[in-house]
Order: sequence, then C-alpha cells, then structure tokens
Amino acid sequence: MNVIKNNKDTENALTGLLEKYNIRPTQSYHLFKGGNANEISMLAGFEFTEAILEKNQIPLLTWRLKRKFIELKKIVGESVIENVCLFRFSCMGSKDKWSLSSLLYREMDLFEFIGNGKIISVQTVISDDQAGSVLLRLDNNALCSIEVSIQMPSDSPLIDRHEIIAQRGVTSDLVVDTQIPQSSIYSFTKKGETKYTDIDMELFGFDDMQVDHIRSAFQILKSPGLTEQWQQQHKHLVTLVQLAFESNRKHERITLNSGGKA
Amino acid sequence: MKPVKIAILSLTHGHTRKYYQVLKENPKLEWIAVYAETELVKSNFQKLGYDIPCYLSEKEMFDKHPDIEAVVMASANRKHIGQFRECAKRGIHVLCMKIPTFDMQEYAEIVAMVEKAGIVCQVELEMHYNPVVARMKDILAKNELGKISAINATNITLSPLWAFPWQGIPEESYGKRIQLSPGDKRFRGGALCDHPHVFDLIRWLTNSDFEFVYAEAGPNIRPDIEVEDTLLVNGKMKNGISFLFDPSWSRLEERILIPGPGWEVFPKRMEVNVTLSGEEGIVLADCFGPNVYHNGNPNDRYTVQYTYFDEWIGLMDEFVDCVRNKKTPKINLAWHQKTIETMNACYESISTGKVVYL
Repeated sequence: MNVIKNNKDTENALTGLLEKYNIRPTQSYHLFKGGNANEISMLAGFEFTEAILEKNQIPLLTWRLKRKFIELKKIVGESVIENVCLFRFSCMGSKDKWSLSSLLYREMDLFEFIGNGKIISVQTVISDDQAGSVLLRLDNNALCSIEVSIQMPSDSPLIDRHEIIAQRGVTSDLVVDTQIPQSSIYSFTKKGETKYTDIDMELFGFDDMQVDHIRSAFQILKSPGLTEQWQQQHKHLVTLVQLAFESNRKHERITLNSGGKA
Repeated sequence: MKPVKIAILSLTHGHTRKYYQVLKENPKLEWIAVYAETELVKSNFQKLGYDIPCYLSEKEMFDKHPDIEAVVMASANRKHIGQFRECAKRGIHVLCMKIPTFDMQEYAEIVAMVEKAGIVCQVELEMHYNPVVARMKDILAKNELGKISAINATNITLSPLWAFPWQGIPEESYGKRIQLSPGDKRFRGGALCDHPHVFDLIRWLTNSDFEFVYAEAGPNIRPDIEVEDTLLVNGKMKNGISFLFDPSWSRLEERILIPGPGWEVFPKRMEVNVTLSGEEGIVLADCFGPNVYHNGNPNDRYTVQYTYFDEWIGLMDEFVDCVRNKKTPKINLAWHQKTIETMNACYESISTGKVVYL
C-alpha cells in the first residue's frame, strides 16, 4: 500500500522544490496549524476563520494550482468555449475533512477563478446543516449552481464535478456519461479495489490535496506579489460564505454591490 | 551547480516543442542556440517568441557557440548518425530522440563514438518520468499483484506525419526503404518506428528481456501513406510473461502542418494504457489521465484536454545530473539496443508471418 506522507514530509517537499528552482524565501514558514507565530503561515484559505489576516498569514487557494482547474480556466479564458452562460458545480466530502463552509469557500472561489468575474448574488438552501445548494451570479452575468454535502462516509475522497456550458461548447472535468471523477490507476486485489491518481512526478507519493498545498505554497514563495491578492480574495470569500448562510436563514437572495459588499 | 549550456538540433522532431518550456525554466540549463533545418522551421520557431539565436547551419551554430556543452538531437532518425559524428568530434553531450537508428551497424558506430568521446548519451524515453508508470513500478516492487502473468499495453496516437513529413518517408524514419511484406505496397517506417515506449517499458517493469515476438500489420486507416499505421504485436518475455502491444497510429487527425488545437479527430489524441495481470490481482492504468474535456473551438468536437505532460522535467533533470556528475543515464545506448533489436524483429515478423526469437 501507499506510504502516507505526513506534514513534515509535505514541508520537506516544499523545501526541496524551492532549492531545486533556486527560490530563497525571506522568512521561515510552516504549512500547518500550530507553527511558530513568527513564521509565514501558509494554510488552505478556509482554515483561517478571520476575514482580516496578519501580514504573515497567507491563505492558500490551493485548488487554483490543480491542473484540471488550470485547464478549465484556460478553456474559458482562451475562448475554446465561447460566451459562457452556466456553471454546474458539485462537491461532496466527509465531515472528518470538510465543512459546508470550507466546500463553499473552495467552490465559490473556483466559480470566480474559472468564470473570470466577481459574484454579485447568492441564494442558498441548506438542510440539516450538512447539505444544500447555492445559486450564484457573476458580474459578467454567468449563472452557477453549487451542490454541496458533507454526508459522505468518513475518509471518503472529495467527489466533485465542474461543468461549464457556453453558447459554443461545453467543458467539464468529468468524462461524458460518467458521474464521478476517474483515476489514473485501478488496482484489484484480494484486499479490494485501490485507486491512485498520480499527477505530479516532482511530488510523487503525495495525495492530490497535499500536492495542491505544496504547489500553491511554492507559487506564493516564488511570486510574493500574489500574497496580497490572495489575502484580499480570502476576505471576499469569507464574506461570501457568511452571506450564503445568511441567505439560507432569510430564505432570500442576497445581492452584492460591485465592490463585493452586501 | 553551473548550468549546462544547451542547444537544440534540427527542430523537426514531433517532441521538439516539449523541450522549450523546460529549457527555459530549469535553472540547471542555459539554452543558448537552436539549429533549424529549413527557413520554414526557423520561421515557425521564431513565431513562438523565444529569444534564442536560431541558425540555418548546424556548423555555423557550433562555430559561433563553442561553449555549447550539450544538445537535444531533435531530428529525423536518418539524420542522427551524422549529428552524432559531429557531436562526438566536438565532445558535446547528446540527448537523442527515441530512435538513435534502426541500422544496427550504425548503432554500433554510435556506441563506439560516444564511448571514445567520453560524452553522455541519454535516449529520450520520457515514460520513465511519468508518475503513473512510477506507481506501477512501485506496485510491482511491493509484489502486490504476485507473479505477473501478462502485460498489455497501448501506445496509440494520431499520425504526426503531416506536421513532421519525415515520419512518413521510409528512408528518413526507418533509414532505408524496405517493403513491409511480400506483395505489400507499404514500407517500414510508420507507427512502429514512432512507438518504442511499450517495448521499453515492459523490460523496465519486468526486469526481463524479450524471448520472442510476433507482429502483424493491419490495413492502413490512411490508405494514401506508404508506411504502416496499424499493427499488433504479441509474444513472451524470457521470464514467461506474455504481452500484447498496440503501437498503432489508430487515431485520425486533421492534416495540419503545425500541431495545435483541433489536430485530433478522435477525442483523445494519444494514449498509453497498461494492464498488469498477476496471480494476486490486476492493475489497469492510464498514463495520461484523468483530464478535462470540451467540445469547443476550433472544430466543436469532443476533445480531451490533457492536464499532465511534465515528463520532460524529470528527463532533463537526469540528463543534467549525468552531464555534471559524469553518470550513465538509465536509458543509455546499451540498455536501449535490445528495444531497437526487438522492434526490428517485429518488422521481420510482419514480413515473414512467423514468430521471431530474440
């Protein structure tokens, strides 16, 4: 079986990449909660609950470094599909790893990242604090639905779908006529079925969430100018998540102005 | 570590463009020149916007840049022998495309030249740096499947010959014009010459060599070309593992001169899938998946947009390490010779209709 990489391995892998590409961070850093307060703290954005962060707290939008989302953004941005109208996202995880807030934080950022716009309205329905849906609109008029649930069994992988429908063409991270993401390797033995999705040779052995975490931290240390941009986006996303829950409480759509304020 | 000063020769191989990004981004490399075989090739290169001096004469490039330490030999197979002679004479290390030559006398000459000149020669078989292949190697090393009985592998692509015409010319691709089989109007030099990977991978994954091969060419799906485009190969390894390979050009393409969006007619333009069947279980692997998909520009066809093509990073890391630290690459000429001999045996089998023992 695969040897599970721990937090130390993850930080060591980042160090290795930095050394390989001659990038010298000006300050020491950590990638997980509980690190030294004087260091740069690079956690996934949804791990920071406050909207306003200290200078050394960098919310990583880790999914933005995931290859499939980079390609979807290119397909939209380079007009491989033209005049995007509708986004259909779905994201289902388990309670031990995800919350509705963290899923919404991720998916709303992906809508803005791939759709190249800012969310201007939010309408949410949630049941049992564990599952629901959000309808969103961007300032370029694209509409989006996000299904979210944290009712997958413990230790389940994140099951997601990102389909984008345009006047010319459709793009998706799922193969046509399938419901769940594919893996690159399926192993069938007496122990059952095992799946692997190895996508990064420089970070071989890390799972895809760890790869995204390392790649996004690497990107920040390589391009420090990104820090402020991601901190601003974090502030915006924390607000959006709060508004999503507010919409659910009030049973009404909440409209934001062009500055992202409700 | 001092960066290795590197150039690219010819720019006529289908993999050439894979090197541009890694030569630019890898701090261990300093890309200092390219030689383009024709004005058209030079013009196409210059449109990409790389600020690299581009020459129409190989000699002029070498003379103007005596500090070139290594080259990527990105040329037609027939050109390799001459370029090896020049590089050996100048003491320049070589990263050679996947087929140094099919002529075993030439092959021996290349081996001798490289050895005498004391240069590194690494053969470009990039699947060794693919993470799915690494996972298969790991699964086998841990014996999770028990004794392996059979391996099936595809190396199926579209045909690159409209963009890289030498791949459809028997003399340029195979080295000489040899009829595929008695009565067949086609010649050696097509899909088989383009797809050594599966022959190489099975040796690497099983730590064994070929006992025998049997191959047949199917009818061409492109009846207007003079080299084979579909074929199937099976046989056995010396350790008893049976195999089936499909190294065909069985995905049709638009006949465009420069590869780009819309090249593919079938949604997935290139596939390397491997099945490992062992006494304790089975593994199915797709070396280039999963991906994202669209049916947009330019042809509104359902299309696989690949999310992973980074083999060249690891490949160049190894090459630099070998050059700087005087190491022998994993895929060196001695290792690769048996793969080339086996591919020649496949052509012999196609011609004779018989199993060929290695």
